[in-house]
Amino acid sequence: MLWILIVIMAVWMLFPFYWAINSSFKTENQLQMTPTTFVPRNFQGEFAPTMRNYEAVFSNQAFLRAIVNSAIVAVSVTLLSLAIGAFAGFALGKLRYRGKTGTLYLILAMTMFPQIAVLTGLYAIINNLGLQAIPSLIITYLLFSLPFTAWVLTAFFKELPLEIMQSAQVDGASPFQTFYMILLPLTMPALVNTGLLAFIGAWNEYLFALTFTSVEPMARTLPVIIANFPAQFSRQTPFGEIMAAGVVSSIPLIILVFVFQRRIVAGLTAGAVKG
Amino acid sequence: MAKGSDGVGELAKKEQRLAYFLLLPTFIILIVIAIYPLGSVLVNSFTNNVFASSEPVEFIGLENYVELLSMTVKKVPAKLDENTGEPLIDPDTGEVQYESSVRVLPREPRRFKPVTTFSVFGSRYVLGASDPSFIRSIWDTIIFSMVTVFLELVLGIIVALIIDVNFPGQGLMRAIILVPWAIPTAVSSQMWAFMLQPNRTGFFNTVLWHLGLGNGEIPFLTDPALQLPSMIVIDVWKTTPFMALLILAGLQLIPKDIYEAANVDGAGAARKFFSLTLPLLRGTIAVALVFRTLDALRVFDLFQIVLGQARYSMASFTYYQLIQNRAMGYSSASSIVIFVVLSIFAVIYMRSLGVTSDEQ
Repeated sequence: MLWILIVIMAVWMLFPFYWAINSSFKTENQLQMTPTTFVPRNFQGEFAPTMRNYEAVFSNQAFLRAIVNSAIVAVSVTLLSLAIGAFAGFALGKLRYRGKTGTLYLILAMTMFPQIAVLTGLYAIINNLGLQAIPSLIITYLLFSLPFTAWVLTAFFKELPLEIMQSAQVDGASPFQTFYMILLPLTMPALVNTGLLAFIGAWNEYLFALTFTSVEPMARTLPVIIANFPAQFSRQTPFGEIMAAGVVSSIPLIILVFVFQRRIVAGLTAGAVKG
Repeated sequence: MAKGSDGVGELAKKEQRLAYFLLLPTFIILIVIAIYPLGSVLVNSFTNNVFASSEPVEFIGLENYVELLSMTVKKVPAKLDENTGEPLIDPDTGEVQYESSVRVLPREPRRFKPVTTFSVFGSRYVLGASDPSFIRSIWDTIIFSMVTVFLELVLGIIVALIIDVNFPGQGLMRAIILVPWAIPTAVSSQMWAFMLQPNRTGFFNTVLWHLGLGNGEIPFLTDPALQLPSMIVIDVWKTTPFMALLILAGLQLIPKDIYEAANVDGAGAARKFFSLTLPLLRGTIAVALVFRTLDALRVFDLFQIVLGQARYSMASFTYYQLIQNRAMGYSSASSIVIFVVLSIFAVIYMRSLGVTSDEQ
């Protein structure tokens, strides 16, 4: 009984992705077959997958550039938010200062800040300053990744025993040295957890990417390319290629999920459950 | 603050300086990318600013908000027979015929267009709005959010309860349910749009047709009655994992010996769930609900990619106003409306979470 439920659940979660893989191995004609088939078949009903969509996708300059753009943006955002977020997390979690409650509230509020609310304002700033799209994306993505990183790291720093800090101070270390040489290495697991989430969030972001690259097609990231796929030949929506591109851009994330399943779950729930 | 010997005070001051120094980068960044833009959006929302236009920008007060949010309800009179003065009855359906709802809506000082008509106590009314697409987008987004979050909660609890049982491959299963969450929304939206094709090239039409349901040509994404349900199905698939993982985390905090006591009392599984598990999960569920509601209310990717301009969410409405119409002022006003709606939910969330710090 339990196993039936488990199988149903797994199929429900994985089937749409299986369908994308299935479709990505079909030719235009196979995609138009009615009724549709559960594996790529030719008209004789034989199993007949094609690599054409993948060949098309990997010779598509816009798509290749998007992979590079997405990687640059996601890696930069991850490193920046970890570096800046760790500073903030240490101050919020371990140091005593005036106005702490207020700053804690502010960071928590910022984790829920809706991107759409500042879209118009950021668009105007970027246009007025004539900023390039890629740096604009890196900076603006901190809007969602930085508060989240700071918040989760705060919770983590808070749990580190105070004695570690005190004994280091007795040994003559300054608070910053304590942070840098002793506490930061201890927070490595939390840095990995939140870094993974920052990376996935930046890799998948669509609203800012779509808006800020609207006049700079060379800077488009994967989600923008996949949502508005540039057809190589004039015909209707090239679903085969879109599915191939979608599979390619999801694979890094699916690998991350299978390798770091525990850490991702820990990061996700830390952000929401810990107070 | 610490007031003891000078050494301690000095140390505390040093610590405080360090704290401010470490927080500085975060706050500078948040001011540049959140606080300042939000302020400029607020200022812009009171102007008629059109991006890249030669028209001078004028301060127009609340005009944008009035245009966005004006609504009116008018009674729609029945068509009367010219000779008898009696309401006209449609001879085919036997129903009363009504005047066109556009005609009863005011045109001055602003023009109202019909959003929907409804009947109460045998009279027909029309709801008019000066910008029916925005009013409809608010309504659709709220319905979408409430239904998806509710379905996700029910399915998320079921998924969490299953995974919480110890079975070989539990870790693998947790990774599997993360797949929908991890796939970029742009990709999953395209995947589902393809599965929902309005003919038997689409997965759903093929399966329903094999089951003898429908004619194999159900227009899931173009029929207005099916658009929202389709969006809900896609979003439930995509976000149930998040809900399930939160609830699973909550489940694992419940001490197992509570159940042992219940076992001794001979309580059934259903009874244990409703009188023990569910009450103990209340806090987790409350947080998960508000978290997901906030997320659902700002839905953009799914609506923009799958439905484009056929039907808006609040966020995609704002996006099109900005990019398509270059209406800086108007889209700023709709951003502020969204911000206010979300803030109300956010405050509830913060209250339920209860921020604590060790500050005296």
